[in-house]
Amino acid sequence: MVSMVQNQDVQQKDLDHAVVVAVTSRALFESETEEDDGPAYRGGVAFPLLQALQRVNEHLLEKDPTESLLFDVVLMTTDRQQQQQSSGFMSSTRHHGLEVSRFCFSSEEDFVESLLKNNIHVFVTTDENEAFQANQKGVLSLLLDENSASCPSEQLRVLFCENSIIRPGSGPTSSSREAAQTFSSQLGKMRQKLETSHSPLCFTLVTLHGGKDRCCGALKALRSVGVSVDEAYCLAGAPRSPILSLLRPHFLLSDGCSGSED
Amino acid sequence: MVKMSLDLVQVMSGKVKELQVSPSSNGNTEGSREEKEEFEQNQLSPAAKPKPVTGRRVRKVEGGVFFPKPENAVTIAVSSRVLFRTEREQKVFEQKGVEEYLRYQIEHENEPFSPGPAFPFVKALEAVNTRLRELYPQSEELFDIVLVTYNHAHVGIRLINTINHHNLFIERFCMTGGSSPIGYLKAWHTNLYLSADAEKVREALAEGIAAATMFMPEKLTEVSESQLRVAFDGDAVLFSDESERIFKAHGLDKFFEHERENEDTLLDHGPLKGFLEALGKLQKKFYAKGQRLDCPIRTYLVTARSAASSGIRALKTLRAWGLEIDEALFLAGAPKGPMLEKIRPHIYFDDQMFHVEGAAEMGTIAAHVPYGVAQKSNQQKTSMGK
Repeated sequence: MVSMVQNQDVQQKDLDHAVVVAVTSRALFESETEEDDGPAYRGGVAFPLLQALQRVNEHLLEKDPTESLLFDVVLMTTDRQQQQQSSGFMSSTRHHGLEVSRFCFSSEEDFVESLLKNNIHVFVTTDENEAFQANQKGVLSLLLDENSASCPSEQLRVLFCENSIIRPGSGPTSSSREAAQTFSSQLGKMRQKLETSHSPLCFTLVTLHGGKDRCCGALKALRSVGVSVDEAYCLAGAPRSPILSLLRPHFLLSDGCSGSED
Repeated sequence: MVKMSLDLVQVMSGKVKELQVSPSSNGNTEGSREEKEEFEQNQLSPAAKPKPVTGRRVRKVEGGVFFPKPENAVTIAVSSRVLFRTEREQKVFEQKGVEEYLRYQIEHENEPFSPGPAFPFVKALEAVNTRLRELYPQSEELFDIVLVTYNHAHVGIRLINTINHHNLFIERFCMTGGSSPIGYLKAWHTNLYLSADAEKVREALAEGIAAATMFMPEKLTEVSESQLRVAFDGDAVLFSDESERIFKAHGLDKFFEHERENEDTLLDHGPLKGFLEALGKLQKKFYAKGQRLDCPIRTYLVTARSAASSGIRALKTLRAWGLEIDEALFLAGAPKGPMLEKIRPHIYFDDQMFHVEGAAEMGTIAAHVPYGVAQKSNQQKTSMGK
């Protein structure tokens, strides 16, 4: 059973134009802490991401109060156990002043359905399985871990990672690739509305293999879909971890760059 | 002025075999080379796909071009403003702001920049690499040049076009879009960082990375295309600034006295010692293959110390460090310009702007190392531009 509740404290977004991001309650809150932390759950690994999304919205609205290309955040529970803590999530959201416009309660069996039904552009979770399932159905999924907690909260960092060596069978599905492209061009449009320096939204390109010409090609390709990159790193085979650990991206959009080095 | 060579063998400068550096090779090695790459499991990036795989060693061929691992290579990080001449663009940035600057860059994307002060140095590094690859085809002990700029990636395409136009073999870069490049310098295991921005250079020095600010000389004298020549000042560059402190505080006599008394005490190391060491390691690779007379790397010490007195401590220190320097020139206070003009180094490191400017006036490519006590009295901005 899926139910969707609007958050009355937050102005609802224009769903025709917004970029809808669904975040699981497990990713957003630490709801399983032993001690009772008072009136609200503590922020989880997705907390900085949400703050960064909010900051982008703030800047966009500052430039144009009628702006409709904004991030729309849906807090999603994906299993029955979490459903029972629904009131806790709603009050924690209020407590932290988070700009969550809707709460979606579903279970393991039907959460992917609700992602599709509600036109979710990006699904953010800490659960590998959930991410995999959503990906299979063509929903762009983002898997967070404890490192995500140290991503910046003042700037949303999106990393386009180009890996010319793709293991067969490990690349994204064609439908999720489509979702990634849609997401990229939406972000590209957002980026254009924001200032060049000290922007709350930052695009980074990393090419892992191949030399400058591959990087040049990637820059041009991204430009052609409306994505103007702010930072670019051409690794040409150098180990990626030291560089990626400095970049601290919230979103990693890749061509098989994720996970292990190959 | 006494010219002393620490090497037992006397080398006549200028008698180096001319190398064939083919312009279209762009660093490509002959035939296909296998690229050895070691991959570690990446734990850090938030992944769109689940299931990390355990690391494994993979050998890959990447179009026949060999990319060394940063920690094995001698990594030289250069900024776009020292590799190329970007004065016009700088003016646009200063006068009209960043948006106009980026628009200008994109508009002129297909116009390559002309060579900057670090250009001959980088070309010479490539010449050395060619020789190293001939002798040690599988080795990763090469010069690895990384373009590190805090320029915006919008300028990236123009920079790449320029690199291609000049046939430079630079395949790695960091365009940080305004944020500090220091973290990336460390990630690349940078052995030397060259920039036009003194602030960034100071930051790098504070992090223990050899760094220097480069300036465009008014006239550019021709330098060798086959032999890399690197010249160093002694105090506060290769050595610490302890002696300079004495000189500044108490004058020349006290300086001599101090040096005499401490002749057998090693000087402490300075910011460029590590770089000299790295050069020495590569030189030894040539010696090991019987190429001492023909070595494409040559190092020089150009110091105001005098051979008969204060210079001894410098030499003893170098010897104790196990560092060979090909030519040591003790000027005993004489101007450095004429000597440098004879040497024609691809780069000369000095901690004092006075010497850097003097060298540049005579066409030597000089780089300022903003380290030590000499900086406190040097507040004025150089008129040579950034």
